[in-house]
Amino acid sequence: MKAKGFAKHYYLMMLPGFVWLFIFSIIPMFGIIIAFQDFNPGQGVFNSEFVGLETFKYMFQLNDTPVIFFNTMFIAIMKIIGNLIVPLLFALMLHELRYIGLKRSIQTIVYLPHFLSWVILGGVLLDIFAYQGPINQLLGVFGLKPILFFGRADLFPFLIVGSDVWKEFGFNTIIYLAALTGINPALYEASGIDGASRMRMLWHITLPGIRTTAVLLAVLGLGNVLNAGFDQIFNLYNPLVYSTGDIIDTWVYRTGLLNLQYELATAVGLLKSVAGFILISVSYYLAYKFTNYRIF
Amino acid sequence: MKVKGKIFALLILLFLLLLAACSDDAGTNEESEGTDEETTTEETTSDEDADPFGAYEEAITIAIGQEVDPTDTSLEEGETPLNNKYVNHVKENLNINVEHAFTASPSNYDQKVSLAIASNDLPDAMIVGPVELRQMVEADQLADLTQVYEDYASPAIKEIIDSTGGVALDNVTFDGKIMAIPNSQASADGIHNMWIRKDWLDKLGLEPPTTIEELKEVARAFVEEDPDGNGEDDTIGLAGPDTSNKLYANFLESTNNLYGFDGIFSAHHAYPGYWIEGEGGDPVYGSTLPETKEALATLRDMYAEGLIDKEMGVREDSGESVISGKTGMFSGPFWMPYGPITDAVTENPEANWQSYAVPLDENGEYTPHLSTPTSSYVVVRKGYEHPEAPMKMLNNLFAHESEFDHMEGGGGPGHYPLRLVYAPADEMEVTTVAMREVLAGTKEPEDFYDMPAYKLIKNDVDTVFDAKLEPYDNMDIEHWDITSTSFTRAYSALVGTAPQVDTEVKGVPSLIYSQTESMEDRWVNLKKLEDEIFLKIIMGTEPLDSFDQFVDDWKQQGGDQITEEVAEVVN
Repeated sequence: MKAKGFAKHYYLMMLPGFVWLFIFSIIPMFGIIIAFQDFNPGQGVFNSEFVGLETFKYMFQLNDTPVIFFNTMFIAIMKIIGNLIVPLLFALMLHELRYIGLKRSIQTIVYLPHFLSWVILGGVLLDIFAYQGPINQLLGVFGLKPILFFGRADLFPFLIVGSDVWKEFGFNTIIYLAALTGINPALYEASGIDGASRMRMLWHITLPGIRTTAVLLAVLGLGNVLNAGFDQIFNLYNPLVYSTGDIIDTWVYRTGLLNLQYELATAVGLLKSVAGFILISVSYYLAYKFTNYRIF
Repeated sequence: MKVKGKIFALLILLFLLLLAACSDDAGTNEESEGTDEETTTEETTSDEDADPFGAYEEAITIAIGQEVDPTDTSLEEGETPLNNKYVNHVKENLNINVEHAFTASPSNYDQKVSLAIASNDLPDAMIVGPVELRQMVEADQLADLTQVYEDYASPAIKEIIDSTGGVALDNVTFDGKIMAIPNSQASADGIHNMWIRKDWLDKLGLEPPTTIEELKEVARAFVEEDPDGNGEDDTIGLAGPDTSNKLYANFLESTNNLYGFDGIFSAHHAYPGYWIEGEGGDPVYGSTLPETKEALATLRDMYAEGLIDKEMGVREDSGESVISGKTGMFSGPFWMPYGPITDAVTENPEANWQSYAVPLDENGEYTPHLSTPTSSYVVVRKGYEHPEAPMKMLNNLFAHESEFDHMEGGGGPGHYPLRLVYAPADEMEVTTVAMREVLAGTKEPEDFYDMPAYKLIKNDVDTVFDAKLEPYDNMDIEHWDITSTSFTRAYSALVGTAPQVDTEVKGVPSLIYSQTESMEDRWVNLKKLEDEIFLKIIMGTEPLDSFDQFVDDWKQQGGDQITEEVAEVVN
C-alpha cells in the first residue's frame, strides 16, 4: 500500500520534466533532416529538396570547422577542471573555519554570482576589464601598459574560464561542504588521539571521504564537454577573438540565424550532437565504473 | 503495477495530444492561407478605380515588424510606438490599424527578420535588405506586388523611383514580377565625411586637415595635447567602428556606415568591399587589391601610435564617447545630427562639430565611394488580404512626412511605421543650396515651394531662421539655436551636407550592389575571413603580410568563382 502511494508522487513529479523534454528536445530532433536538404523556409521541412551529403562536404572544407571544435573542447575541459579544483580547495579551507557565522556568510557571498545571468555579468566584466577600467588602472599603478583584454585572442579563453569559475565556484562549494559534513567526526577524534596532524587528517580522512563526490562531479561534467557556455561567450566575444573564442554554439547561431545558412548550421549542430552522445555514453560508463552511479 | 501502467498510458495520451495539437495548427494555417490568396486575387483584379490615398471603408489591420530604438526619446509622455501622432494620422487618413508582429532594437532588427523568415512566421509587411529579399523570393514567401505598384503607387513616388534610371525597380524584379517596393535614397547617405571638433582645432591652433598626413597630425594633437583641458589623458583622436558598424561600407550595405574608415581607404584609392573595374577591365573585388593593403598599413600605424580609439571593434556604441566629449574626429554621413551630435551639443554647447570632405588623395581630390540609390525594401507576406495597404501607407507618409518632421514631439522618423526614404538622389545638396540662398537673402522661401519631389524643402526654407542665428554665413555652433525643433535638420543640411556641395566629388560606384548566385552559400564565410583579418591587421595582432595569405584564401574558397559570376552579370 505504502509503496504504491510513493510511486504515484514520483511519476507526477516526473511529468513536467518529461513534457519539457519532449517539447524542447524530442520534437526538434526531426529538424535534423534540414542538414540533408536544400532547405527552403517557405516550403518547410517536409517539402524541401534533398541534396544528400553535400552540406557535410562543404562543412569539412571550411577552415572554421576544426577551429570551433577545438575551441569548444579547450574551453569546456578547462572549465570542468577549474570547476572541480577551485571549489574543492575552497570547501576544504572553509571547512577548517571555526566561527560558524563567518563560515555561513562567506558561503552565501561567494554563492551570489551564481544567480546573476550572463547578460548582466557580461556588461560588468566588459567594464571592469575595459581599456580604462579598474583592472587596467591597477596595472598602471605598477607601471604596466594597459591591455585591451577582450580584444586579445590569446587571453580570451582564460578570461572565459576564469570568469565562469568565479561565477560558479560558490555553488559547487556547497556540494563539497555537504559531502564534508557527511564524514564521521569519530574518525577525526580517533586520529587526533593517535597524534595525527591537521595535514595528516586532511590526507587520510577528509580527501578519501569526499573522493566519490569529486569523481562523480568530474565524470558528470564530461557530458558537458561540448557545451562551452553559449550565454557567456555570446555576451563577451567580438570578431577579434573569433579565432580562439568562437565555439560551436555561437558559430551555429551566427551561421543559421544571422546568415540564413540553415543547412550548414544544422549539419554542424548534428555533428556536435553525435560527438556529445559518444562522450555522454563514455562518461556514464566511467561513472558506473568508478562510483557505481547508475540510472538504469 | 496497475498504477504504473495507467500513468504510462496517461503520458502517452498526453504526447499524442501534443502531436495532434501541433499538426492541427499547421493544417488550419495552410487552409486559411489558401483562402486568403483567393480573396487577394479577387480584390486586386476587381478593384478598378484604385485610389493611392483612399481610406478603407472598414478598418483593416496590418501587423508589421518594426525597428524601435530604445534610446529614441522623441515621443511625448503617454505616447507609444503604436499610439502617437503619426500612427493616429495613418488611422484617420487610411483607416488602417497598425499593429506590431514584432519589434526590435536597431542592432537586433536584422536578426528578428532572419528569424521570421526561417520560421516562416512572417508579419504582414516589414522592411528588409537585399539579401533577405532574395532569400524570401526564393522561399516563395512574398506577395507579387506588380499590380499593386502599377495601380497604387502615387505619381510622386513613381517619379522618384523612375529617376533612378530603372535601378530601383530592377533590384526588386524577379522573373518579371515586382516582389517588393524599393526605396530611393539621397546619394548623401552613401558619402562618409569626416566630422571634426573645430573648437579643439582652434584651441590647439590647428587648421582643418586635408591629407592623410595632416589628419594624423590632428589626431595626434587631439590625443596628446589634452584638448578637453581636464588634465587627463583620456581623449580619442579618431573613433573606430563599434560592434554594430563596419570598417567600411560594402556593396551590399553601401550607405550609413558610422565610425568607419571609409575616407581613409578611399584617399588611398582603395575600395574594399566594392566591386570595381580592374586593370584589364574585368571586375575585381576591392578588398583583394594592393591599394587596400596600403590603406591597412596606414591604419595599422595610426592604431599603433594610439591615434585611433584603442577599443575599436570591442565597443558597444562609439557614439557614447562622441556625446561625452572624448572623441575628436569620426566618419559618418550628413545626418549625424540625428545621431550623436545633437546629444553632444546639448551636453556641451561648445562642442563645435563640423564636417569636412577629407582626407584627400595624393592629387588633392576627394574620391569617396558611392552608394546604390536603393537598399531597403518593403515586402508583403504572401496571402495578406490587403497587399496594397503598405503601398498606401508609403504614399501617405511621403505626402505628409514634412508635417511631422518638425513637429514638437511628433515621434520622429524612428516612429513612422514602414518608413522608406523617398528622395531624389541630389535631395540634400539641393536643400543645402536652397537654405543658403534663403539665408543670404538672394532668394525667398516661396521660390522653393513648388518642388513636390523634395518633400521637406518647403519646411526647411520656412524654418531655417528658427535654428540659424546671425551671422548667417558662419556655421560654428555658437551661431545656432540648438533648442529649436528644426536644428537637427538644418544642421544636417548646412553643416553635414556642405562638404559635398563645396567640394567636387569624384566618387567611385560599385559595379554591382546585390548578390550573385554562389554568394548565397559562400559570401558569409568569405566576408568573415575578410572582416576578421582586416580588423586584426589594423589592431596589430596579425602582421601586415597576412593580407597576402588572405587574398590567396579568399580566391581559393570561392572568391574566384564569384568574380567570374560578377563578370557575367556586369558584361
